[in-house]
Amino acid sequence: MDSSALNSPDLQRFLNQEKEKAMVNEMVAKLTSVCWDKCITSTPGNKFSSSESACLSNCAQRFMDMTMIIMKRVQSMQ
Amino acid sequence: MDSFTTGSSGSGSSQLSTDQFIDQMKAQLAQAYAEEFLEIVREKCFDKCITKPGLSLSGSESSCISRCVDRSSRLPVSLAELF
Repeated sequence: MDSSALNSPDLQRFLNQEKEKAMVNEMVAKLTSVCWDKCITSTPGNKFSSSESACLSNCAQRFMDMTMIIMKRVQSMQ
Repeated sequence: MDSFTTGSSGSGSSQLSTDQFIDQMKAQLAQAYAEEFLEIVREKCFDKCITKPGLSLSGSESSCISRCVDRSSRLPVSLAELF
C-alpha cells in the first residue's frame, strides 16, 4: 500500500468521524448501564413511570455534570 | 482503545529510532491507563455520591465527587507500594 494514502485527508476525516461515533456509542452504553441501575429499582413495568423517566433524564445530565467536575479536578492536579 | 489509533500523523519520514518508538509506546500506554482509570473513577464516584439524581448537582454531591476523585487518585500509588 502506498504510504502516502495513509496520510490522505479523506482517510483522516473518515477516521476522525469513526472515532467520534465510537466515543458517542461508548457514552450512550455507559449512561444506559449506570442510569438503569440507579433509576429502575423495582421490576420493570410496561412503561417507565414518570418518576423513572425523570430519574433517567436527571441521571444522564448529572453524570455529564460530574464528568466535567472530574476532568477539571484531574487537570488541576497535574 | 482510542489512544492507540492516534499515531504520528504526517510521518512521511520512514523510521523512528527504537528509542523514539519505545517513548511513543510508553506515552500511549500511560494515556490508555489514565483513561481506563478515569472510567473507573467516574463510575464509582457516581455510584457513591449521586444516589438520587436531581435537577442539578447539589453542593454535597459536588464536594463528595471532589473528595472521591482525590481519594481515588491516591489508591493506585498505595496499591503499587504493596508490590
